[in-house]
Amino acid sequence: MSGPVVLVLRILLAVSLYAFLAWAFVSLWRDIKQQGALLAARKVPPISLSIARGESSPQERHFIQSEVTIGRDPACECPVDDESISARHARLSFHHNQWWLEDLDSTNGTQLNQEKLAMPTVIISEDEFKCGDTRFVISLAGDILMPPTKRIQHA
Amino acid sequence: MKRFLAQESPVQIQSRLLRLAGIFLFLYSLILTLAAAARERSWAVDYRWNHWLGFAAWVVIFTLAHLLSRRQLPDADPYILPIAALLAGWGILSIYRLIPSFGLRQTAWLLVSGMVFLLGLRLSPELRFLRRYKYLWLSGGLLITALTLVFGVDPGGGYEHAWLGCCGIYFQPSEPLKLLLIIFLAAYLADRLPLSLRPLPLLAPTAVVMGVALVLLVIQRDLGTASIFIFLYTIILFVASGKKRILLISLVGLAAAGIVGYFLFDVIRLRVDAWLNPWLDPSGRSFQIVQSLMAVANGGTSGRGPGLGSPGLVPVAISDFIFTSIAEETGLVGTLGLLALIGVFTARGIRIALRAPDNFRRILAAGLTAYIGAQSILIIGGNIRLLPLTGVTLPFVSYGGSSLLTSFLALLILLLISSQPEDEPAPLPRPQPYLMLAGLIGLGLFALAATNAWWVVWRGPDILERTDNARRSISDRYVKRGSLLDRHETPVNLTVGNPGDYLRTYQYPALAPITGYTNPTYGQSGLEASLDLYLRGLDGNPASSIWWDHIVYGQPPPGLDVRLSIDLDLQRQADELLGEHTGAIVLINATSGEILVMASHPTFDPNQLDTQAATLLQDQNSPLLDRVAQGLYPPGDAMQPFFQAAGFSGQPSQTDTEQLFTNLGFYVSPKLLLPVATATYPGGLLRVSPLQMVLAAATLSNNGVQPTPRLAMAVDTPTQGWVILPALGEPATVFPSAGATETAQALIVSGQPFWQWEATVSQGSQSFSWSLAGTVPNWQSSPLAVVVLLEENNPREAGSISQTLLEAATKP
Repeated sequence: MSGPVVLVLRILLAVSLYAFLAWAFVSLWRDIKQQGALLAARKVPPISLSIARGESSPQERHFIQSEVTIGRDPACECPVDDESISARHARLSFHHNQWWLEDLDSTNGTQLNQEKLAMPTVIISEDEFKCGDTRFVISLAGDILMPPTKRIQHA
Repeated sequence: MKRFLAQESPVQIQSRLLRLAGIFLFLYSLILTLAAAARERSWAVDYRWNHWLGFAAWVVIFTLAHLLSRRQLPDADPYILPIAALLAGWGILSIYRLIPSFGLRQTAWLLVSGMVFLLGLRLSPELRFLRRYKYLWLSGGLLITALTLVFGVDPGGGYEHAWLGCCGIYFQPSEPLKLLLIIFLAAYLADRLPLSLRPLPLLAPTAVVMGVALVLLVIQRDLGTASIFIFLYTIILFVASGKKRILLISLVGLAAAGIVGYFLFDVIRLRVDAWLNPWLDPSGRSFQIVQSLMAVANGGTSGRGPGLGSPGLVPVAISDFIFTSIAEETGLVGTLGLLALIGVFTARGIRIALRAPDNFRRILAAGLTAYIGAQSILIIGGNIRLLPLTGVTLPFVSYGGSSLLTSFLALLILLLISSQPEDEPAPLPRPQPYLMLAGLIGLGLFALAATNAWWVVWRGPDILERTDNARRSISDRYVKRGSLLDRHETPVNLTVGNPGDYLRTYQYPALAPITGYTNPTYGQSGLEASLDLYLRGLDGNPASSIWWDHIVYGQPPPGLDVRLSIDLDLQRQADELLGEHTGAIVLINATSGEILVMASHPTFDPNQLDTQAATLLQDQNSPLLDRVAQGLYPPGDAMQPFFQAAGFSGQPSQTDTEQLFTNLGFYVSPKLLLPVATATYPGGLLRVSPLQMVLAAATLSNNGVQPTPRLAMAVDTPTQGWVILPALGEPATVFPSAGATETAQALIVSGQPFWQWEATVSQGSQSFSWSLAGTVPNWQSSPLAVVVLLEENNPREAGSISQTLLEAATKP
C-alpha cells in the first residue's frame, strides 16, 4: 500500500510544481494585459497652438498626439508654410507627465519666451515660442478633451 | 475580461507563489519521509525525519523575507524571490536526501545567507556605495582569492586548494569574486558611458583586472569559474557597448584558450576527452558522466520519486551533480519544471535590467542575470553531456555555502534594482544586446531541455542495460528473486531475507558451475544469467504489472520460480561418485532430452563467492567452468559405437565421418538456456563436450533418434500457473533404428539392463577417459543415457561410475 500512497503524493508534487509555474505565467500574462490597457488608456493632455505670422490674425490648432513636429515639410503634424522655417524645425512631445519643446537643429533656431532654445525644455500654458518668423502661443487644455483639428492643407 | 484585468499587486503575487513553493517543498519532505516504506513495500520501516529541520528553516527564512520585502520594497519584482526560494528549498531537501549531515550544514548556510539577505533589504535601492567603492570591492575580492594560493585548503581532502577557513567552516572566495567582478565592471563601464570607440583606454583596465582574476583561477585549476568569468566579461562589455564584434572576438579567444588549455592542462584534456568519448573509459575518466547519464535515464519521464532513486551512485551528487540527482528522482517532469523556473528567473532579470533607472544598475542587473543563467546552463549542460563537465555549482540549488550566499546576494541586488518601478527607466538607445542576452539564455535552456529529453526517451533503455548500472543489484536487494527448483520442486537456489537485505542462497552448492550465481560484485553466471529475465520478473509477468511496479517502486515485480529437469537425488549420487576426480557427468532422458544430472568437478560454493572469488578465478583447475556444456574434449575411440551404428566397416572415409559427425550434431552447439561451448568446425580437430556426447549416446537407447536437450522445464507465472518452457529444437533421426539397436545390444553389460562403452584418449601430456552408457533398446521405463568424462587416464573408473549411476537411476 505504501507505494501507491507515495505515488499519489508524487503526482501532487508534480502538480504543485506546475501550479507554481502556471500561476507565474498567468500573472505575467495579466501583467502584460494590464500594461497594454494602461498604455491604451493613458491620456495625453491636448495642446493648442495659436499660430501667428507677422501681423496676420492668429490661427488656432489643437492636437491630441503625444508628439507634434513643426516644420515646412507637409508630413509634419503641424506643417507651416514659412520660408524661414526648416523642413523639420521643432518638436513638442509629452513624456514624464510634461509637455517638452525641443529644437531639431533648425537653420534659424527656436526661441522660447525670447530666449534661444538650447535643450529640451518643459513648457506651460501662455508660453510663447518662435520658429523663424512664426510665433506660437501655447495653451494646455488640462482635463478638457478636444477633438483634433483636421489637417489644413497638403501642399 | 474584467476579472482578468483585476491585477494582483506584486505583494499578492509574491505571497501566492511563495505559498505554492511551500506546498511543493512540504510534499517533497513528506514523500522523503515515506520513501523507505515505499521502497521496502511495508509500513514497518525506519522513517526519515531529519530533513524537516531544513524545511522548517526554509519556512522561517522565507516568511521573514516575504514580510520584510513587503515592507521595505513593496514594488519589487514579485517572481524572483519565490523562484529562488523554491530552488533553494529543492536543493536543501535533495542534499538531505543524499547526505543528511551535509543537509544540516546547508541549512546552517541557508540561515546565514537568509540573514544577510534580510539585512540587505534595508539598503538604499540606489546602491551608490557599490558604485563608489568599486576599486575597493574588486581589490578586496582579488586579494582574498590570492590568499588561497598561500592558505588555501580543500575541505574535501582533494588537491583543489580553493577554500579558506578552518575548523569545519570553509569558504570559496572565487564565488563572491564573480559578484565583485560584475559590480566593478558595471560601475567602471557606467562611468564611461557613452563608451568611446577607441578600445584601448576603455578595455585596458578591465582586461588587466580580468587577466589577474583568470591567472588566479588557472593557478587554482578552477577552470569552470574561469570560463564563467570570460563569459561574464564578454556579456557585460557587449551590453554596455552594443558591439557585436566583442562577441566574435571573445568566441575566437575562448576557442583559442580552450585549444591551448587542452594541450597545457591535464584537467582540461581529461574533461574534454571524457566529454567527446565517454563510452571509451566508463569506469575511469568518464565514470562521473556515464554514471550521471545512467541516473538521468533511470529517472525517465516521471522520475523514481524523492528518496526512491539511487542518485548517490553518482560522485559529488550534492554539488556538481545535483541536477542529475533531481533528474533521477523527479524525472523529465521535474527537470523541465526546473529549467522553466530558471527561464522565468532570467527573463525577469533582463526585464529588471531594461527598466533600471540608471546605466550602472542596468548593466549590473544584466550581469547578475547572465551569471545565474550562464552558470546554470554550464553545469546542467555538463551533467547531461551537452557541454564539457566543469566543476561549478548550480546557483541556489547545489551544496556549498559560498555559492548559496553569492546567489542570495545576486537575488538581493536584483530585488533592490527592481524596487522603484515608478521611476522612468534610463534612456536606452540600443536595446538589442539585452534582447540578444535573453535570447542566448533562452536558447541555452531550450537546448538543455531537448538534450535531457533525448537521453531519457531515445537513449534511456540502452543505457540502463549497461552492466555497470548498479541499480540492478540494488533492486535485487529489495525485490525477491525467483527460485531455481529441481524436478521435484526442491529449491536449489533460493532468495531469503526481508526487503532491503534479500540474499541469494545456494542450497546445493555442488551444482554451482551449472546453476551459477548472481552477485552484486561479480555479476551472474550459468542459469542465473540465462534465466535472469524470468527470475527477475521481467519475463512471464503481465506487462501491466511490470509497468506498475516500475512506476510505483522503480523496480521489477517479484521474480518467478523456474523448475529445472535436474533430479537432486541422482545429482547427489553423481557428485559423490565423481568425488575428487576432475571431470563431468551428464545423465539425460534419452527420449525427452531432459537433463537429470549435470555434474562438473571441481566445483565451488557460491555462498562464499565474496571471499573466494579471487582464488577461484586464478585456480588452475577452473572450478567456475561448467565442464558438461563448456568443456571440449577429443573423443578418440569413444566414437567407435557410432561408427558401428552407422554401418562403417574398416577405415571410414573423411567424407563419411564428417557426415556422421554432422548428423550427430558435433559441429553445432547444443541449443540450451545455458552457456555452451562453441562447436568445432568440420576439417579441424574434432572436440566435443560431454553434453554433445550424451546426446549422441542417447540415439543408441532411443532407436537412432537424437533428442533435444532440456534443462529449464517450466516457469511459475502469477496468471497461468506453471507454464512449460518448450525445447529449443526438434528431435532428429541419426541412425536406422536397427543399426542403433544392434550396436547397443553388442555393448550390453552382462546381467544389467544397460549398455556401456569406455575409451581413453591422450592429447599431448593430458589423458581423458570417456564412458558412454544407456538403457537397453527395449527398456520398458524411460530410456536413459549417461556420459562420464574424467580428465585422467582411468577408463575403468569412468565405466564404473556410469554403471553405478545407471543402476541407481533404473532402480524402480
